[in-house]
Amino acid sequence: EDALLPAPQNISILSTNMKHFLTWSPVIVQGETVRYSVEFQGEYERVYANESWIPSSECCLITATECNITEDISATVAYALRVRAELGASRSQWGTLQGFFNRITTSLTPPVLKVIADGYHLLVELEDMGPAFQFRVLYWKKGQERRMQVKVVKEVSSVAHLDTMEAGADYCVKAQTYVEAINRSSSFSQTQCVRAQGDTSMWL
Amino acid sequence: TAGNKIFHFGACRVSMSTTEIRAGFTAIKANIQARDPIRTLSILSYPHSLHKVQSSDRCCITHHLFNFYVDKVFKHCKTEDSFVNRKISSIANSFLSMKRKLGQCHEQNQCTCGQESTEKYKQILANYEGLNVTSAAMKSLGELDILLDWME
Repeated sequence: EDALLPAPQNISILSTNMKHFLTWSPVIVQGETVRYSVEFQGEYERVYANESWIPSSECCLITATECNITEDISATVAYALRVRAELGASRSQWGTLQGFFNRITTSLTPPVLKVIADGYHLLVELEDMGPAFQFRVLYWKKGQERRMQVKVVKEVSSVAHLDTMEAGADYCVKAQTYVEAINRSSSFSQTQCVRAQGDTSMWL
Repeated sequence: TAGNKIFHFGACRVSMSTTEIRAGFTAIKANIQARDPIRTLSILSYPHSLHKVQSSDRCCITHHLFNFYVDKVFKHCKTEDSFVNRKISSIANSFLSMKRKLGQCHEQNQCTCGQESTEKYKQILANYEGLNVTSAAMKSLGELDILLDWME
């Protein structure tokens, strides 16, 4: 009976910023709801554990044609992935991703940041991208690019203090992400510049 | 965060991240250790703690232990719990990744084995083979934090 249900096709991976998704084309059976189950196999399983497969943590008998495999891809090795269709007691053959997936190939986008001039204080607000991410923030006084300074922000809590600015001066900031687990960085964000408040000292 | 650290094993310097391994192990530690009824025995620490290993032998013993876990231990730790099995897979694949990095030192002869590390590893194997394979594997997996603490 399994032969009636075709295996899922067009299986591919979408991986951005260490979030990994397996996608496939739907298997259409008129008037029926087809479900899908995903399994993964790390290099360890292939080489040391008789090529065994492990059910995905998120995707067992799901109706979507996309599975978040981020939790399953938890080491920097080559993973094989497969999905099959299920309808009642009927199961298709496995559709297997062509080639392997290693999280080292995830695409890293520049971080979203907001630069704030709070009086004389240069602050930066960074988007929380998850525990795997650190940020390398570069900042400088406009016109003094050669005296660029670096701050590594490991824990994105709220706002990071970068520097105390000279009155009325312009300061510029750009940042990139760094993922230690795969030892890779994103490209830099757009540069953002702000102006410190003017000199408001009072003459007595 | 998943922090890569530079590990110094004698002359060998390796950048590795143990954070994900530790997180995976912490998630299943109680489950695994509950499967180990023999409390009075240790695979890694009997008769002497890993901390007694000299620094010159650290690379060799670490290299041996990575091979030990990958070749002997993980494959005998299958459980009826899919969550636990997934975490073990995560740890095993991370060990494979680390084993490969340490292997580079071994190839560059920065991981020489002295008398002490050879003896220590023989003792670990003897402790392991003194039990039936599943008990030995589960006990070894339950002692993973001993290895991680010693490495760090």
